[in-house]
Amino acid sequence: MKNFDIYWATFKASLQAKLEYKLDFALGLLTSSMLQLAALGFLWVIFHQTSNLQGWTQAEVIFLFGLTAMSLGASELFFNHIWMVPYYIVMGDLDRLLVYPVRSLPFLLISRPELHSFGNLLTGLALTAGSLWTLHMPWQDWVLVPVWVLCGSVIYTSALVVFCSFSFKFVGPYGYTLMIPHTLLQASRYPLSIYPAWVHYGLLFLVPYGVFNYLPGNWVFGKMLFSAGAFLTPLVAVVCAAVAERVWNWGLKHYQSTGS
Amino acid sequence: MRPLAPPLTLSENILGYLSFLNRALKANFAYKASTVLGLFTAALTYGITVLVWNHVYDQKGSSLNVTRQEMFAYLAMAFCLNYALTINIDQRVGQRIRLGLIATDLLKPLDFQMTQAFQALSDCIFNGFIALGIMAVAFSALGRQAFPKSPEAFGFFLASFFLAFIIQYSIVFFFIQGAFYTYSGYGIFASRIAVHHTLSGLQAPLTLYPPILRSIGAWLPFQHVVFTPITLYTGRAEGAQAWHLLGEQALWAAGFYLLGNLVMRKALKQLEIQGG
Repeated sequence: MKNFDIYWATFKASLQAKLEYKLDFALGLLTSSMLQLAALGFLWVIFHQTSNLQGWTQAEVIFLFGLTAMSLGASELFFNHIWMVPYYIVMGDLDRLLVYPVRSLPFLLISRPELHSFGNLLTGLALTAGSLWTLHMPWQDWVLVPVWVLCGSVIYTSALVVFCSFSFKFVGPYGYTLMIPHTLLQASRYPLSIYPAWVHYGLLFLVPYGVFNYLPGNWVFGKMLFSAGAFLTPLVAVVCAAVAERVWNWGLKHYQSTGS
Repeated sequence: MRPLAPPLTLSENILGYLSFLNRALKANFAYKASTVLGLFTAALTYGITVLVWNHVYDQKGSSLNVTRQEMFAYLAMAFCLNYALTINIDQRVGQRIRLGLIATDLLKPLDFQMTQAFQALSDCIFNGFIALGIMAVAFSALGRQAFPKSPEAFGFFLASFFLAFIIQYSIVFFFIQGAFYTYSGYGIFASRIAVHHTLSGLQAPLTLYPPILRSIGAWLPFQHVVFTPITLYTGRAEGAQAWHLLGEQALWAAGFYLLGNLVMRKALKQLEIQGG
């Protein structure tokens, strides 16, 4: 409990510091929404040519877009600091973190919230709510959305942590490695059934992004395919978080300070 | 703070810019792992677009305005063109502004905007060679669809590519100025990428766009970075129409270059650099 207080105080202090930059906050809000709308622009082009994607209508795909955007936003708000680790390893700046009397991974993750996360959260919320409202979905679906978003942010962050941990072993300007799980997240905005089997199952079992948007989508819209899997999302999130922390600890064993 | 007036002669100036280009190119070669990872990520991002279109063609067959072969040739070309025109000066300049290192750039007896143009040119040359390699693979996979329609079309394409580079650089430079006013340049850079992705024709020919989106794009310069060069390459615009497109590109290039210069002068007036 005492540890939780430390994490919460750190998160609050970091967020307050970031909120001091009001222009950055406004721009971050605007631009992250623009990035989501840009992706939506492509979806609009696609649905200008076809009425559905493997049986998924535009409103249903927008639900997937919304869940993905909110999961991304939640990760950027609560666990964003992971993006700086490859840089810290090169500069030897991780020493400070390692002498704190806390668990290094959770403390690192929460200590640098990103302001543009609010743009992704709000845009995602608008898309998800718009989709559920348009399709007249029952209240149970609305209630489960926060659970899927929270689990989604944990699963996505876990993938980032796993990819990032390789930076301990292979030191260098490899910040791009984090772009791989980030790019795969973009793929999960579409129904996985439109992809070839290796991508489809890769995004369900290997990097399980489909568990927090595609499976819930199947359940919400009654598509039957693995729909019961929507209730496995919390379990998958816990497993992913455990794997991520193990890989992180393995990586830390290879960390060498710069000595300066 | 103002940049110092360049006291050099024209030939010294040119030599200075070329020296800058040379060093920037060497720096690009130094980060091989980053280049490979960056290329992989770009290909992964683009792979999603290709797979989505592939599914649409599987579903709709030949009922689209553009054939499957034409579409994949277009997407391959758009990827290569966009990769060649990927300019990283926004990240670099943004970081230098944040750290105050921009002061040393402004003290150099060379025009700051032109220096950054040569830095961008080094990115373009470096990425362009990689893009050529990818195009070679695309040529072998896609056959005739990937070739320019005629030698004349190829000539128009080369001119258009050069103008596309100036437009792309000028847009990036214009957006960089926002980093003088903010703590993190992320918002500024991300907004440019968002509009570029949507309106440049990177993910589909603009002819397939919904009319509203196409109309918005027609009022902005982004289509001239990807869509126009490919239109000329594939011979979909020839003769007077091709010259007209090149004229439009030249106007956007000159306009945005000058706009960038004006905004930079204003931004530099309020720049404060801490430290000593």
